[in-house]
Amino acid sequence: MRQFGYERPEYAADAVALAERPEVRYLAGGTNLVDLMKLGVETPDLLVDVSALPYEFVQEDLDGLVRIGAGVRNSDLAAHALIRSRYPVLAQAVLAGASGQLRNMATVGGNLLQRTRCVYFQDVSKPCNKRMPGSGCPARKGDHHNLAILGASDQCIATNPSDMAVALTALDAVVHVQDHAGPHEVPLAELYRLPGSDPQRETTLAPGALITAVDLPTLPFARRSRYRKARERASYSFAIGSVAAALDVEGDVVRDVRLAFGAVAPVPWRARTAEAALVGGPVNEEAFRAAAEAELAAAEPLRDNAYKVPLITNLVVRTLAELAAGS
Amino acid sequence: MSVPTTQRPTGTETATGRLGDITLLPDGIPKVTGDFAYSSDLWMDDMLWGVTLRSPHPRARVRSIDIGAALATAGVTAVLTHEDVPGSKYYGLEIADQPVLAVDEVRYTGEPVAIVAADHPETARRAAAKIVVDYEVLDPITDSRAAMSPDSPLVHATPTQDHYPGGGNILRHVRIRRGDPTLTADVVVTGEYDVGMQDQAFLGPESGLAVPAEDGGVDLFIATQWLHVDQRQVAESLGLPEDKVRLSLAGVGGAFGAREDVSMQIHACLLALRTNKPIKMVYSREESFYGHVHRHPATMRYEHGANRDGTLVYVKCEVVLDGGAYASSSPAVVSNAASFAVGPYNCDNVLIDGYILYTNNPPCGAMRGFGAVQVCFGHESQMDKLAAALGIDPVELRIHNAMAEGSLMPTGQVVEGAAPVAELLRRVKDAPLPAAAPTDSYDLRALPGGVSNTTHGEGVRRGVGYAVGFKNVGYSEGFDDFSTARVRLEVVGGELVATVHTAAAEVGQGLITVMAQIARTELGVEQVINQPADTSIGTAGSTSASRQTYCTGGAVQAACEAVRDGILAMASARGLSVEGAALRDGKIVAADGAAVASVADLLGEEIVEETREFHHRPTEPLTRDLGAPGDIGQGAAHLQFAFAAHRVVADVDVELGLVRLVEVTTAQDVGKALNPLSVVGQIQGGTTQGIGLALMEEIQVKDGKIRNPSFTDYLIPTILDTPPMQVQVLELGDPHAPYGLRGVGEPPTISSTPAVVSALRAATGRPLTRVPVRPEHITGT
Repeated sequence: MRQFGYERPEYAADAVALAERPEVRYLAGGTNLVDLMKLGVETPDLLVDVSALPYEFVQEDLDGLVRIGAGVRNSDLAAHALIRSRYPVLAQAVLAGASGQLRNMATVGGNLLQRTRCVYFQDVSKPCNKRMPGSGCPARKGDHHNLAILGASDQCIATNPSDMAVALTALDAVVHVQDHAGPHEVPLAELYRLPGSDPQRETTLAPGALITAVDLPTLPFARRSRYRKARERASYSFAIGSVAAALDVEGDVVRDVRLAFGAVAPVPWRARTAEAALVGGPVNEEAFRAAAEAELAAAEPLRDNAYKVPLITNLVVRTLAELAAGS
Repeated sequence: MSVPTTQRPTGTETATGRLGDITLLPDGIPKVTGDFAYSSDLWMDDMLWGVTLRSPHPRARVRSIDIGAALATAGVTAVLTHEDVPGSKYYGLEIADQPVLAVDEVRYTGEPVAIVAADHPETARRAAAKIVVDYEVLDPITDSRAAMSPDSPLVHATPTQDHYPGGGNILRHVRIRRGDPTLTADVVVTGEYDVGMQDQAFLGPESGLAVPAEDGGVDLFIATQWLHVDQRQVAESLGLPEDKVRLSLAGVGGAFGAREDVSMQIHACLLALRTNKPIKMVYSREESFYGHVHRHPATMRYEHGANRDGTLVYVKCEVVLDGGAYASSSPAVVSNAASFAVGPYNCDNVLIDGYILYTNNPPCGAMRGFGAVQVCFGHESQMDKLAAALGIDPVELRIHNAMAEGSLMPTGQVVEGAAPVAELLRRVKDAPLPAAAPTDSYDLRALPGGVSNTTHGEGVRRGVGYAVGFKNVGYSEGFDDFSTARVRLEVVGGELVATVHTAAAEVGQGLITVMAQIARTELGVEQVINQPADTSIGTAGSTSASRQTYCTGGAVQAACEAVRDGILAMASARGLSVEGAALRDGKIVAADGAAVASVADLLGEEIVEETREFHHRPTEPLTRDLGAPGDIGQGAAHLQFAFAAHRVVADVDVELGLVRLVEVTTAQDVGKALNPLSVVGQIQGGTTQGIGLALMEEIQVKDGKIRNPSFTDYLIPTILDTPPMQVQVLELGDPHAPYGLRGVGEPPTISSTPAVVSALRAATGRPLTRVPVRPEHITGT
């Protein structure tokens, strides 16, 4: 591990000022960053510990908007009464991630910025366009069992590993950011970038930008929402495919729907094509399946990850069917 | 001798109970609460830290190694390469083919190249990173079947000594031929099966502390499975006589075969002797994946021929095991794989070829089940396939062909003692089945995907599968397998105390309890102390092959009998009549039950101490193919066979490919359960390890490199993946074994894997020819 300095500022402005250089990383729960430092994937010369900043809150404003501080631990978020009652999909997604010990450390901000599990990204002896731009991508022909079928580029097929971000994407979350230009807001959908020709840039954040909070817009029908995650053991493993959904049904017609997929794309994948196909349509499994298939028509599966297409389709059908049955 | 300030591993205290009593492991609670001192907790105030520089390449020539910058680093005391190994530069359990530090070539990713000692582990790691190794990278040989080709480049261009006959990259080829395998049969089924590379996944990484001694020797505190085999290899490489290399067992955090080979033992001692300081080494989790051998991946081809009534006519099997870069215990593993390739069935005509290959993959060696695991997946898959082809119930087909006492192994060996294959199968079949999954309500935890909320019953099919397996207990093929025990009886503070001393490694299996139970029972004494295991006494042999209760238990029993004879002789010398007497409750008790004397009164200040070796019955090497006609690969190679059967009930989400095991039922003959609770624990743990291989555990190796060297990416079952188990323990007694016992630890790991896959096949109708089974295999996508 490279030697590094350590600072623990008490004000966000101080943190941002310290972090503008590219060799600096924010340290929150450390559950992903420290592992990557041990592997030599991350080699910061300074860690700015943000745990002293006042971001461990979950609050509701008068309009019903829920704001979650970036320093809230995953365990606390999943257990929060507001989240459990209004946005069950988010509580379920957080609880589906990692282990109890990791959730006690990991934060909302850190979870949003966790890095891919692609084995080539994590192995510094191998080429990786994300880690070392221009060095190549062995994953396309190599080990891509759990890599992207949507949104990838010929430069990178890594997947975003977060469960929480899939739920937040479905909920149209808005991220509060502080950077050298001051505080501002970014819709989560605009936070993440597709890899394109420069997969090393995963977000639209400016250098040194600090995530301070996440807003959840009011979405009454999200009280009926679900996260379903397929994985290779019953606990403490990353998704091989997941679905976050909220469904609003009026009579026999879908009035509104939110749908996002995890473990299939470089970003939490908002399934807007499927949503458009569903809204105004009938509430039955055929329609759900057709919508999922419409979304996945754009999928470009590789040799060893084609299973994700039917996996996601089946998860979508089941999740929407469950929500519909409860309406 | 300097001793680490860290306390000895707790748990050597007296356990309670006599033979057959349920007795809690004394180290159990300290392990759960965190009080147990593992080898990674060892500490001395003036110690230095050792780290290892490893090869990043699976195959490369080493042109030069420049240690200058590393050695010049502040805080660094020593940097050693192969040039600094004073004795044998190669070591190995059976064949000394593995360099202590790479000499002129590296043969697997992670092979140790240099070692560094410094005052802080991070200083040592940074210094190691400054070592400049000039590699000429070569194309690795990573496909075991391709490695068999005479055209393949050689992993070991210049073998360090004569190996088994095979040639090229073939480390050993075991041929077994009996009867006439050219026969034809009414029904023939063929199959090809693959087993992935499993890791032992122990929780305590390789670690130890080497302390230089004033006599020029070294004391090594180490977590291992066999102190004396480590001692021999360390001494040979240090160029020291064995009495100058003294080993003591430190707290062991699991083993399962992965601690049979030397890891950091020689390295720590080299650094200790060079720096004249205690050296501590602890592998990280990632390094641990490179620092020990794994279970051999296997590819198998089978052909079974049977009559219409199901009687096996012939079995042909070719099993190819990937041994990786060095021999480890591979020659014995492939011998086992060949011996057990047919399974516990009668078949007069067999043709078996077992191959084990050198490749540039990580070295493979011992793991619980030792060759029998791979072939059990093969032969049990074949039995299911044959049953389907014949239209016979798969359990009835197995029972029809089941081995029994007096049956012949493919090697011609007569199966002695109880061989209750049919009874084990009947028991698991006749056990009540769990209730069907409720359709009107659901509990996520009981469904495939569990709390991931993937199904509320949609797409879920139930399957039931069976398997039976067996393997040898103890070392085979003519190895003089024995253990040594010293037992002392004395009066301490007015109380009679027995002290038991062996070199047997307690690795979590419960031997310390069993040894105390034996002494307590044989000597009629309440207070028994287990002395810590070390090399000041003769070898106990390895804690492996399910042999330690048999061999060390036998040695403790023999030493106790000698002590008892000594006590009775003392009594006799004092004119007491001790004809047929025994020791019970601190007294000499005559044959008629009358107390003759108090043992404590008799002993007074005297001490009776006896040391005994227990050698198990001799076994024979397998006959080799000498070009002569007739049966080959024959011989009574094995000491004892241990059998287990499993029934698995699985709920399978056939749309998502997820599995929830509903229940496992298992039956196993243990001969005699010395500590019934430990027996059940071994069966539950072994079964779970087999479930892991069936469903998730695989070291993914690509281009000779491990892709998932962490417990985040190498998945082992959690308790949520582990179903309730009905465990049926049979105690049929082996007349040849101490107390009639039969080794317990391995059989449950062997048959649970194929039983799980059998249940998945029943639920999905898919062939599922590879373990671990992945979700896309179940869904067929």
